[in-house]
Amino acid sequence: LLWKESWELARNPMASKGSPLHGPRIKLIEKAHNLFTETKEHMFESKAAEEHAKLLRIQHELEVTTKQAIFVDSSISDTIRTCIVLGNHRAANKVKTEFKVSEKRWYWLKVFALATIRDWDALEKF
Amino acid sequence: MSQIPNLENAPINLSAIRARAQAELETILKNVRGDKCLVIDPKLSGSLSLLVQSSELKKHGAELRHLTAEPIQTDRTKVVYLVRAQIDLIKFICSHIHNDTSKGLHREYYLYFVPRRAVVCEKVLEEEKVHELLNIGDFPLYMIPLDEDVLSFELDLAQKEYLADGDATSLWHIAKAIHNLEFSFGLIPNVRAKGKAATRVADILNRMQAEEPVNTSDMGIPEINTLVLLDREVDMVTPMCSQLTYEGLLDEFLGVNNGAVELDASIMGVQQEGKKIKVPLNSSDKLFKEIRDLNFEVVVQVLRQKATSMKQDYTEISTTSQTVSELKDFVKKLNSLPEMTRHINLAQHLSTFTSKPSFLGRLDMEQTLVEAQSYDICFDYIEEMIHKQEPLVNVLRLLILFSVTNSGLPKKNFDYLRRELLHSYGFEHIATLNNLEKAGLFRKQDSRSNWLTIKRALQLVVEDTDTANPNDIAYVFSGYTEERHLYPNINFHSLQLIFYSSVFACNLSYRRPIEEILRLLPGPHSEIKRGGYASIPSYETLPGSLNSSEKLADGRRSLVLVVFIGGVTFAEISALRFLCSQEGMAYDLIVGTTKIVNGQALTETFIEKLG
Repeated sequence: LLWKESWELARNPMASKGSPLHGPRIKLIEKAHNLFTETKEHMFESKAAEEHAKLLRIQHELEVTTKQAIFVDSSISDTIRTCIVLGNHRAANKVKTEFKVSEKRWYWLKVFALATIRDWDALEKF
Repeated sequence: MSQIPNLENAPINLSAIRARAQAELETILKNVRGDKCLVIDPKLSGSLSLLVQSSELKKHGAELRHLTAEPIQTDRTKVVYLVRAQIDLIKFICSHIHNDTSKGLHREYYLYFVPRRAVVCEKVLEEEKVHELLNIGDFPLYMIPLDEDVLSFELDLAQKEYLADGDATSLWHIAKAIHNLEFSFGLIPNVRAKGKAATRVADILNRMQAEEPVNTSDMGIPEINTLVLLDREVDMVTPMCSQLTYEGLLDEFLGVNNGAVELDASIMGVQQEGKKIKVPLNSSDKLFKEIRDLNFEVVVQVLRQKATSMKQDYTEISTTSQTVSELKDFVKKLNSLPEMTRHINLAQHLSTFTSKPSFLGRLDMEQTLVEAQSYDICFDYIEEMIHKQEPLVNVLRLLILFSVTNSGLPKKNFDYLRRELLHSYGFEHIATLNNLEKAGLFRKQDSRSNWLTIKRALQLVVEDTDTANPNDIAYVFSGYTEERHLYPNINFHSLQLIFYSSVFACNLSYRRPIEEILRLLPGPHSEIKRGGYASIPSYETLPGSLNSSEKLADGRRSLVLVVFIGGVTFAEISALRFLCSQEGMAYDLIVGTTKIVNGQALTETFIEKLG
């Protein structure tokens, strides 16, 4: 029952899109995170919810600093790519360390991103 | 050519089933007098196109519309809705009606549920206070003949609903459809089931028979001898592999829907920019009937051969003088020219996909996964796919294959891959992962995998098959080039087992090992003999001599209906056709399925759409 309840919670915030609902959304996900932690079997789910909340915060910050509403609701990988494409390597690095992105994935993302903006020099160096 | 298949060659009278559905649809339309607007659930329109042509509907004064969220624009005063019992569709209808009333329009509304109404939907209508405005009825369309030997219940989500949501409505629908069949063709005396859902369908079927018995006395010999119910869950490996038959490939790359593919007109050599055309694919097309079940590699050869022989005929015609009868033959051959062109165009289009390195790479990977010998290679490959953010469906498809053949992944890898998936594709996919886990398709390892045992016991991976002259069913999944070998088709084998166990029911020495293998596969199995045939002793006390007992009096082969609960792939149907074309087979087969699927479609049903 508890599981179902928390599941519904995790679902709802994702169903309601968009930045205006941002505050309540993060809160809902955090609540889901707490509910998940109460049972032992849902370690993974609780961790995912925690990370999701963190990601939304970072994405929100990024949107504020870049003034572009393109971050929220994209995945972690997408976020990193967008950062690199925009030339914001510091932000990309921050996201990387924040979520402990593995080196392998990091390289793929970087290559793809640099290729999209045709930054061949950077690609060469890297 | 019409998209409605010609059913004359069907082993049982399938056109009767279609005729009844047509008649029912007609009564519905006639009951609503005068001109009306017929609003169809888009999912149903494909099925309906297999029943009637739209011109036929227009004759009844119907204007056709697809049901969407947008309010309908029509000046007709009567609106007929034809929908599946799905809450979101009902909500559309409610909004339509509210929209009309707010504009002061008064219309008559008729609502027909296909195949039957659901209490939830009526509740929604009551809540929205439109219940009184509607005349509600049912259009009991439980199954549609897709071809001479294929019936579909058109339940796209059956597998997911049963496994992930625990919703057994679709099982009831299947049983009901079979029960309806029995009313036309007699009670099926033998029922065999394998898998959880399958045994439940068998139970429901028995209950229906108890409540509403099919009269056995005035029917004579039943036309269908045996019903085999198979659960898709028994074999999730086969649908996840890429199909390599002509029809199967068409489905993998272009998507065959209700016996037709839709593609750009330019591919078919028609000069109309950006226009889509529908190409019907069924046994009415003689050439297609010949090549649909062949390995694609062979199809190309066959087409080339046909083309050269035609060219030869043509040069003969133009160089030498011919008798009238020879000319007649030639003209007859020319008549098959449009079919030739059609399939050459299609084959050419397909080969642009099959020659891609990514496709060949995937085939290679599937092979490795199924052999289940090199865990690390598979793991790395899938990891890399996730990192490259390749389409989610493709990743999940291989992941399911990976998980099923290993009976789950070790916890560490499982959590790692799940985390990488969420990071790459977004956290909303946690619902999808949860669905897959509940369905047992992508899960934690809890027991040692018995895949290798099954594989060995059933001789699933066959080395080297001559794709042109197949002597084994495996050709339907066999590879493209010489070094790529064969793909297993476990489902065929599990079917063959159930089959043989029925044939050799008396021969215990043969039967025992089969039961052991059956136990290896997931899910329970059951065998029921149904009574009422005391007058035909051969069915009850099956003697050893197969030929005398299984053949019907008029020398026809007896008929087996194989029902796949959760969908079947074209390649599997091909395998079955191949099987019954073999010498010494005492059966004709009809395939029933909840839906024709491929790995992609099946995986997509599990992807939860949020937001």
